[in-house]
Amino acid sequence: MSEFDVIVVGAGPAGSSAAIKLASEKMNVLLVDRADPPGSKNISGGVLWGNDLEKIVPNWNKMAPVERYITSKGVGFLTKDSSIDVNIKSRKFLQGVTGYSVLRVKFDQFLAKRAESAGAMLVSGVTVENLAFKDGKVIGVVQEGDTITADTVILAEGANPRVAIDSGARRPIADQDVAIGIKEVVKLPEATINERFGLTSKEGFAGEYALGFLEDGVEAGGFLYTNRESISLGVVINMGHLRADDKTYSFDIMDQFTDHPSIASLIENGKLSEYSAHLVVEGGYNSFPKQYGNGYMIVGDAAGLSFSNGLMIQGMNYAIASGILAAETAIEAKKSSDFSEKSLSRYKEKLMESFVAKDAYNFKGIEEVTWGKLAHKIMPSLMEDVLVNMFLTDGTPKKHLTELIRKAMKENNVKSSDLLMEGYKMIRRM
Amino acid sequence: MALELVVITKIVPDGSEVFIDPVNLTLNRSLATNVINPADENALELALQVKARYGGRITVLSMTPPFAIPYLEECVGRGADRAILLSDKAVAGSDTYPTSLAIAAAIKHIGKVDIVFAGEKTSDSSTGHVGPGVAEFLDAELASYVSSVEYDDGYVIATREFEEGTEVVRIPTPAVVTVLTNSNNPRKASLRRKIDAIRQGVIVWDLKEVGLPPDAVGLRNSPTIVKRMIPFPRRDRKGEKITTDNIAKLVDVFEQNKLIKGGE
Ligand SMILES: Cc1cc2nc3c(=O)[nH]c(=O)nc-3n(C[C@H](O)[C@H](O)[C@H](O)COP(=O)(O)OP(=O)(O)OC[C@H]3O[C@@H](n4cnc5c(N)ncnc54)[C@H](O)[C@@H]3O)c2cc1C
Ligand SMILES: Cc1cc2nc3c(=O)[nH]c(=O)nc-3n(C[C@H](O)[C@H](O)[C@H](O)COP(=O)(O)OP(=O)(O)OC[C@H]3O[C@@H](n4cnc5c(N)ncnc54)[C@H](O)[C@@H]3O)c2cc1C
Repeated sequence: MSEFDVIVVGAGPAGSSAAIKLASEKMNVLLVDRADPPGSKNISGGVLWGNDLEKIVPNWNKMAPVERYITSKGVGFLTKDSSIDVNIKSRKFLQGVTGYSVLRVKFDQFLAKRAESAGAMLVSGVTVENLAFKDGKVIGVVQEGDTITADTVILAEGANPRVAIDSGARRPIADQDVAIGIKEVVKLPEATINERFGLTSKEGFAGEYALGFLEDGVEAGGFLYTNRESISLGVVINMGHLRADDKTYSFDIMDQFTDHPSIASLIENGKLSEYSAHLVVEGGYNSFPKQYGNGYMIVGDAAGLSFSNGLMIQGMNYAIASGILAAETAIEAKKSSDFSEKSLSRYKEKLMESFVAKDAYNFKGIEEVTWGKLAHKIMPSLMEDVLVNMFLTDGTPKKHLTELIRKAMKENNVKSSDLLMEGYKMIRRM
Repeated sequence: MALELVVITKIVPDGSEVFIDPVNLTLNRSLATNVINPADENALELALQVKARYGGRITVLSMTPPFAIPYLEECVGRGADRAILLSDKAVAGSDTYPTSLAIAAAIKHIGKVDIVFAGEKTSDSSTGHVGPGVAEFLDAELASYVSSVEYDDGYVIATREFEEGTEVVRIPTPAVVTVLTNSNNPRKASLRRKIDAIRQGVIVWDLKEVGLPPDAVGLRNSPTIVKRMIPFPRRDRKGEKITTDNIAKLVDVFEQNKLIKGGE
């Protein structure tokens, strides 16, 4: 007999969601996190898109520590001197569910505590070292020489899953699987934020930025969103680039982003309160590792189930959804007393039927576009030239739009065939 | 003969997250996460070392509201044998005098105790009164600012540390030692021990259990009156880098900030 039905390693959104689901179905579950309190080391902000939590925590948005409801979305193309922004503010955002900005330290603690009050045993401040095996099957976890047994282990360790990799439960991370995320939290009075973004106190803004202007052609995307009394902003930098060129420093890139005039004005006079760096999973469908085996399942970032592509990061929603699906699978496995790979392969099927894999599949290869030149460089420079020239008054007669475009293409060294090619790719991927 | 060891601990707000409310002049701890008082982690570690060497039982004792339970479980997870929470509405508002009195009463209730380990001071109000106060009420010997302890047949040999040097004292048990912050490397809890600690739970006592009347403690029996608190204005650091090849500039900056006096 195992000591627990399920041991969940990691109390991020994926692990805590799994534990909440398991405990509320009377499963005997242990939730372990290396941080104390859980979540205190998790990168401190994010927009939680979608409404998956509703399934396991009804009315979560009224109880959880959320910052603002996203009512305004932006995409910005930044060039050296200009920014071309598309902002969408829609009453329709109030009817469906967009997302909430959350501060992770508070939010993750809320979820972990929910798991505990649902009946899970929560142990924080302990790092799980390894999986325990017997006859090729995972039978629990190892920590300081002790084996703690469980019928099923759910690995929810996040983007750098040491236990999963070191124990051979998943393949190692490749460069193209991950990017580096840098994030700052800048404190500002609530009223200032409302004023700068045209919001009321409960409304929030979330924006993504193409950063084609960066020195040495570094590939990176920027993001910015509003919390109640702070702004979270940061960059996601392609790992390949950082590896290839050791003169590129991630903090330099962050500085170039925050110093850009249109970003600097949004955070002006704010006080930097947190600065952190973290791996971002960006692999997508093509780089999903195997996510289950004899006696174990992998969820959330650890399973490559995040989605980031130089223009946006989504991961918490997939983490939560995958945690719930793994929990359902573990509950079914217990009913049939079968914890074999075959039994747990139901998890993979559930994933494939869900939006988690469908999103990843539908946007398969989108990184080619979003990391690509068109989004980051060509379009922004073209738009800048065309639009700025349209509005600049320099005494000469106004030119016709097509003429402006042609001139801009020439100046930016863009061939029509390139534009067509890149445009085609973009439409196909999206 | 197994030693009966007690570690007293207070759960304090994480120092970096506490600020003085400019309006009420009280400490605003609402945004802070809590931690085991840092010096008490060293006190517990020292007790664990003493237990490992001489054998015995460690009881962790805290007088706080029940929010402290997970922290007491953490102490058991690190190797203490059990934890007692002394929790009673009547102690609210107690200053160090009734606090020491109530803790001493709980220790007496445990029975014959050989060594009580306290932290030298807390990180939130830092009076350093409670260790010595408990010694007084227990009529026990005291060694303060201790970095290490040996036991020898009814005596505690404690090394005390000061800026000027160290002093080794030999005092009879029962003894109270107050342990220096950072004097050792506190171990971490293991998963096995922590699971066991959570299952074992924490023993909860109230004042009645330890034989103390409610009117012996609380605000009314606290001689300290906080007249006012003076917040220091926060100064933002400017953070300018001056390298050694610009000594003149460095001297200028020091002078401007009145850190050194200018010469002719
Ligand atoms: C800069 C940045 C910005 C982002 N912005 C967004 C956003 O706006 N919206 C969004 O949806 N997503 C965003 N993401 C992605 C999102 O953070 C992740 O997808 C999400 O946190 C994944 O959840 P998880 O539970 O799988 O892993 P995590 O949240 O990483 O949690 C893993 C947990 O496991 C614990 N752990 C790890 N190893 C062990 C061990 N051996 N033993 C015990 N515990 C262990 C850790 O302490 C941690 O609490 C962002 C990521 C970054 C880096
Ligand atoms: C800002 C502030 C200022 C204060 N000023 C005063 C003052 O000037 N005079 C005064 O009498 N009181 C004062 N108090 C109240 C005082 O904090 C409490 O009486 C407290 O219980 C003990 O004092 P201490 O934190 O200074 O502990 P210390 O005496 O510094 O602590 C020594 C040891 O005793 C342990 N210990 C302390 N309290 C407990 C407890 N409740 N349970 C178990 N172990 C414990 C500590 O963990 C530590 O190991 C103040 C409180 C605050 C928040």
